[in-house]
Amino acid sequence: MRKTFVALTAMALVGSAAMFVAGPRLAGAQGGGTVEVDVKYNGAPVVEKLKVNKDTEKCGTETAIEKVVVGSNKGLANAVVSAPNTKGAKPVKGMVDQHGCKFVPHVSVMTPGELELKNSDDILHNIHTYSTANPAINKAQPKFKKVMTEKFEKPEIIKLTCDVHSWMQGWVAVVPGIAAVTDGNGVAKLENVPAGKQKIEVWHETLGKQDKDVDVKAGQTTKVTFEMKGK
Amino acid sequence: MAGIRIAAALLLLAGAAPAWAQDANAGKAVYERKCLLCHGEKGDGKGPSAELLLPKPRDFTRGLYKIRSTVNKTPTDQDLFRIITEGMPGTSMPAWAVLPEKDRHNLVAYIKSFAPEVFKEAPKKLELPKEVSSSEASIKRGKEMFDAIECHKCHGTEGRGDGPSRPELKDEWGHPVAPANLTKRWTFRGGRARTEIATRLANGVLGTPMPAFLEAVEKPEDIWHLTNYIVSLGPDSPQPATLVTVSAVRDAIPDDPGADFWKKITPSNILLEGQVIVDPRNFNPAIDLVSVRAAHNDKEIAFHLTWDDPAESKGDGKATFPDAIALQFAPQQPPGTERPYFLMGDATDGVYLLRWEQGKGVTEVSAHGPTKLAPIPGGEAAGKAVFKNGQYALVMKRPLAAAGAERPTFRPGVFTPVAFQAWDGGAGETGPKMSLTSWYYLRLEEPQSNRKFVIPPVVALLTFAVLGMIVRAARSRAIQ
Repeated sequence: MRKTFVALTAMALVGSAAMFVAGPRLAGAQGGGTVEVDVKYNGAPVVEKLKVNKDTEKCGTETAIEKVVVGSNKGLANAVVSAPNTKGAKPVKGMVDQHGCKFVPHVSVMTPGELELKNSDDILHNIHTYSTANPAINKAQPKFKKVMTEKFEKPEIIKLTCDVHSWMQGWVAVVPGIAAVTDGNGVAKLENVPAGKQKIEVWHETLGKQDKDVDVKAGQTTKVTFEMKGK
Repeated sequence: MAGIRIAAALLLLAGAAPAWAQDANAGKAVYERKCLLCHGEKGDGKGPSAELLLPKPRDFTRGLYKIRSTVNKTPTDQDLFRIITEGMPGTSMPAWAVLPEKDRHNLVAYIKSFAPEVFKEAPKKLELPKEVSSSEASIKRGKEMFDAIECHKCHGTEGRGDGPSRPELKDEWGHPVAPANLTKRWTFRGGRARTEIATRLANGVLGTPMPAFLEAVEKPEDIWHLTNYIVSLGPDSPQPATLVTVSAVRDAIPDDPGADFWKKITPSNILLEGQVIVDPRNFNPAIDLVSVRAAHNDKEIAFHLTWDDPAESKGDGKATFPDAIALQFAPQQPPGTERPYFLMGDATDGVYLLRWEQGKGVTEVSAHGPTKLAPIPGGEAAGKAVFKNGQYALVMKRPLAAAGAERPTFRPGVFTPVAFQAWDGGAGETGPKMSLTSWYYLRLEEPQSNRKFVIPPVVALLTFAVLGMIVRAARSRAIQ
């Protein structure tokens, strides 16, 4: 009886190990393509400027809440671009710094797992997330706590705020698939996307969500353009 | 032996099971009678009276609870049961200890049913670090931590809830939320006991800006040092007074509210309530307590008032107004127990106000109701106000004797009716929108005389003299 149990356990272990090793290889074997996503926005940038009345030596005397950042060629920055249904994406650890009383980067992506939160301001901040799928946290990060690590295991786009400095706002997208954030020109590249029909999704904090099906070809770059609409 | 064991096992089982089998349906019936008006039919905190309340009633559908003994989102049944039973100080949530215990347990079950997802996760009990009892060293360490983790950002340098981030604070529903005034422990939402304070520090107040500090202090026991420091900031209860005694002094009375003179006088704490009799009513008064010290000499009477206000306000005339405070007296000492209507008198019986207003200073005012105020010409009142770290300190002075029918003369030894009114202009209070008291009494001490320093020594001397004479007489008789 015991022997059978040991044998079964061993088989299960070997099996899962094999799957673990084979998994990523399989994805590679399929051959991936690159999807270059161009996110456009035809509207004007939205920036709210406000005076700062505390911690001015760290935060400055004026700050800007950049709700919509539009670069050259109407490219929309800070949009999350993803292929949510892709499997075997390379794990990406989340990393956000609280610097100059801003979340840097303003928008970032991570695969489910750990998010590293830095405080390089030497003043008190508090990480207050508005998460629902993941546990909502509100933890103080005083000046002497330079790094804090939190776990976000479920796919969700999480809003980060700081109650001490109410203008601070950031976003972390927990995406199990391949994901990236658009640069100042509204461009993001998704690498190693498995060939075939893939859903490509775009999300922006104020302009919402869009998706498109894209035919990804192995070893090639497929271009896709999204036009975000103002609300 | 076996019988005892079985009995013990049964007892254990009984102990492990909930004290009451909770019945959500029975809880619903109680909810609809007692809770619905504020918390709403759907449990979303939008009951018919919700708009008058601040803080807003809890929205049970989010399953977010401020007061938890747990590290995760899910409160224990006991946490919910306790809030229902004891209420929430400083809010409109009353203590429902009047309801049968069974009803309260059933309510817990019903309230949980508004957010079943949250309660799928088992509550994870918070393990507080080992308790450190209060001592001078612990309080000192607590103060160090208070500064290091920057509690003052919201709670203010001296803990009066007046920190620079205060005006921006919002809860997760977007409602403005005030940081606790740490010098008034009796208003703490989750209770004033040390364990409660340590728990709030450790796991925060969910749904509000107050974060969890358990992992954010240098050493876990700092949670207790902070607790001990917070406890040292103010008394356990407001210790309300019923009588204001005006000390008789011989010297001049200083105008400066910070003078040592005032520290020697014991304050009387007067509790204020929102004015809810005439429109606009003040359901959420900002000023709940005024500490009063008073003194008089043979010429003048002076009042020293301190009260907490998170910000000095001169007012923009639209949303904010000048801060103000007033002492109310009957224009003439009333015969017997008759007094003018406490809400600033009425058309026939007016009141006299000794009033201070930001930007205006101290004035003498005659009032015939809360909107009918007229300055008294030839007023002789003066004073000085200082605002620091979320607190006003004010001295108002006036001659003891006054001419005219509108102004009272203060006489020692007489019980004089007095009432109080206060306005936090920064919170939009002006006119009838104020906090106030009903009539209290003021008593001026009889002036001190030199007699008590003269008579006892004279009596002592005379006694010795008489004794001496008796001794001498006895001796001379003995010699004879």
